Amino acid sequence: MNAELRQLTDSARQVVAGLGLAADEQEAASLIAELGWLMVSTPEEQGGLGMGVTGACALHTELGRGLARVPFLPQWLAIDAASSSAWPGRESWLECMMAGERRVTASLGESSLSVWQDGGGMILNGSAVALASADLASHVLITAEDRACVALLALDQPGVRIVPQPTWDVTRRLFDLEVKDVALDQELIIARGPSVLVIRERLAILRDLALAADAVGGATALLDRTVEYLQTRQQFGRPLALFQALKHRCADLKARSDAAQALLQDSLEAVTDSGGDVMAAPDATMKALAAKQLACSTYAAVAEESLQLHGGIGMTSEHECHLFLKRALLNEHLGRGHDSYDQGLAGLFIGNLNQGTTTNDSLSSVEAG
Amino acid sequence: MSSENTQQALRREVRGWLSKNVDGGWRQTMTGCEQDVFFAAQKEWFTRLVKAGYATPHWPEGWPGGGRSLAEQKIIYEEVARADAPRLILYFVALYHAACTLFECGSAEQQSRYLPGILDGEIWCQGFSEPNAGSDLASLKTRAERQGDRYVITGQKTWSTMAQYADRCLLLARTEKGERPQAGLTYLLLDMRAKGVTVRPISQITGDDEFAEIFFDEVEVPVEDRVGEEGAGWAVAQTTLASERGLTLVELSQRMRYALPLIVDAMRQNHRLEDAAIRRDFGRLIARVDAACALADRYLLKRISGEEAPGDASIVKLYYARTLREFTALGKRVAGLDGQYNRGFMRGATQETGNWTVDFMNSYNWSIAGGSDEIQRNIIAERMLGMPREPRDWTVKGQGA
Repeated sequence: MNAELRQLTDSARQVVAGLGLAADEQEAASLIAELGWLMVSTPEEQGGLGMGVTGACALHTELGRGLARVPFLPQWLAIDAASSSAWPGRESWLECMMAGERRVTASLGESSLSVWQDGGGMILNGSAVALASADLASHVLITAEDRACVALLALDQPGVRIVPQPTWDVTRRLFDLEVKDVALDQELIIARGPSVLVIRERLAILRDLALAADAVGGATALLDRTVEYLQTRQQFGRPLALFQALKHRCADLKARSDAAQALLQDSLEAVTDSGGDVMAAPDATMKALAAKQLACSTYAAVAEESLQLHGGIGMTSEHECHLFLKRALLNEHLGRGHDSYDQGLAGLFIGNLNQGTTTNDSLSSVEAG
Repeated sequence: MSSENTQQALRREVRGWLSKNVDGGWRQTMTGCEQDVFFAAQKEWFTRLVKAGYATPHWPEGWPGGGRSLAEQKIIYEEVARADAPRLILYFVALYHAACTLFECGSAEQQSRYLPGILDGEIWCQGFSEPNAGSDLASLKTRAERQGDRYVITGQKTWSTMAQYADRCLLLARTEKGERPQAGLTYLLLDMRAKGVTVRPISQITGDDEFAEIFFDEVEVPVEDRVGEEGAGWAVAQTTLASERGLTLVELSQRMRYALPLIVDAMRQNHRLEDAAIRRDFGRLIARVDAACALADRYLLKRISGEEAPGDASIVKLYYARTLREFTALGKRVAGLDGQYNRGFMRGATQETGNWTVDFMNSYNWSIAGGSDEIQRNIIAERMLGMPREPRDWTVKGQGA
C-alpha cells in the first residue's frame, strides 16, 4: 500500500469511527461529500482526486467497517460511468455529482430494461431491483439491454415508479424501479452503441469490487469486535477467549478474512495495472468475480460464527451483531446474484481453457508490449 | 524501473532454461517406479539446477547461485511452478534447513566443511520430532551426553523426511534437564553413517515411505559439530524451521493454481462438465486458490519490506493446507469410483497429480507436518488476535508436563 493510500485509509477510518456504527444516512452523506470522497477515483484532469478504483475501494472498505448507511456505491458508479464516457453533459454532471449536490442511484442487483426506437426518440420499458436510497435521488443510472444505451433517468416523472422493499439489513434502503413507456432525455444519454457493453461490464466489475471491499471491511471489523467480546466475557471463572475451541474458530475466521483481503488487493492490482483502464486487464471480470465471491462468503461466515460466539446477547436487537449479519447476508445476493459468482468463475475458467487462453502469466504484458 | 527490467530478464532467462531442461515425462517415469529410479532422477535434476544456479538463489552472495534478492527468488519459484518441474524433495532439507542454519548459526569452519558437500549432493535429514514430542517439540527426550570432546547420543527420532537416504542429520537433543523444556537442548550435526545409527522407513497410508524413524544407540558426535552453544539448541532450531519462510508456499500455491485444469480434466472424463453442483464448488475453489496465491505473495512482499508480523506465516500455511485439502477432496469427488482404484503413486510428486485419492491423503502432509493446523491456529489466536495462552499447568491430575 503506498503512502497516499494509507493516509486515505487512516483518515477514512477515523471519520467512520467518529460517525459511529450504522450512522445516520443524511449526516454521513453530507460529511463524505464535504470530504471529497465522491471524487476519489475520478481522474485529476476531470477535477477528481485521481486515486482510482483502489482509492475508492479503500473507502468502501472503511464504510463497510462502520456499516455505513450512506449510498456511496450507486453514486460512485454513476460518477464513474460519466467519467469514463465521452458524453457532452459529462463536465457539469460530474461536478454536481462529485459535490454531492446531485444524488444519483443505481441498481445494485439485476435490471431488465429495454429500449425501442420511436422516430428519433428512445422509449424505455422494464424494471430493476435494489436501487439504494432511491427516494433521496433525483436520477437513476440505467443500462439498457442489447447495447442500446447507458443513461440517467429522472425519477420524478410520469411512467417512473420506485417501490420501497424493506430489507432485513436496516443499513440499506432498497427500492424496485418500474418504467413504463418513458422517453429518454437525449441529453442524459451517457453512451450508446458498442461502447455500452464495455461500460456495462466495467460497472459490473466495479460493483463487484466495491461489494467485496465492503465485505472485507465488515468482516474484519466484526471479527475484532467478537475477539474483544470473548476477552471480556467470563464464564467458568475465566475469559471465553481462553477456550481453545473458541480460539481456533477465531483463528480460522482470521485466516479467511486475511485471504479475502489479499485476494481483493490482488484483484485491484490486476485491474489497475493497465493504467486505470479496468477493461484492458485480460482477466478483469474473473478477478472481480473471485474477489466478490470470496469476500462476501467470508463476511457471511464471520457474521454467522460471530453471532454464535456472542451467545444470547447476539440474538438481541440492541447488540450490533445482527446488523453485521444482515448486511453480510444481503451482500451475498447483491451484484450478479448469489450463485452467479461460483458458476461464473467455473464457466470463465473452463471457457478460457477450451480456448487455450492462459491467465496468470507474469510475462504476457511484457511480451505483448 | 531498471530493477523491473532486470527482473523480467531473469524471468525470461529462467523460463528459457526450464523449457529446455525439464523432462516433460517425469511424472510418468515417477509413477509406480522403484526407489532407486526416483533417487537417480532427483540426483540428476539437482545437479542440473545447481549447475544452472537455480537451486541456491537463497544462499548468500559469494556462493554459487547465491546472492539473489527475495524478489528474484520469488521469480525463480514462480517459473519452476509454471514449468511444472519436479520438486527437489530429496535435497530440500540440505538446501534450506541445513544451509540456512549453517549460514545463520554455524561457525566459519562448519560452513566451509559442510556447505560444499551440500552443493555436491549430500542429503540431509532433520531429527527433531520424537514419538512423544510432536507438536510439543520442546519435551523431546533424546539424550546427548558430553564425554570429553564428544557427545554420546541415545534415543529415537521420527517423521524424519528422507532419512533413509540421508548422509547427515540436523539433530536436536537434550544435554540437560532445564527448568523450562526449551532450555537444555543442544543442536548437533550428526553423520548418518556413524556407528549406532539405525534407520527404519515408515510405511505411509499412500504406500510411499517418505519418512523414517531414526534410532541412536550411543552414537558419537564430535564437539566441533555442535551448532551454537550447549543448551542453546532451541533458538538454533527456530532458525532451521524459519529457513524457507514463505518461499515454498509461494511455489506450492502457484503450482496449485496451475493444477486447476486437472479438475476440469476429471470433470470431462467423468462426464461432469455440465454438472452445476460440481461447477459451483469448482468456482469457489478457483477463488480460494487465487486467494492462497495472493496471501503467499503478500507475505513475501511484507518480508521484503520488513513488515512481517508474528502469525503472518501461520495464516499462509493454514490457508494453504485447508485449500489443498479442498482441492484434492473435490478432485476425489469428481473422479468417482475410478479414483478409488489403487494404481500406485507418483514419487517426488507435487501435491496435485490427478491421482486423487493419493493426492487427498498426501494433503495431510501440509495440515500435520511443519506445525499442524492446530498449532498454527494457536499462534494466530494468541499472537495476532491477542487471545490468552492456556496456563502451562493445565494438565490432567498426576500427569503434569
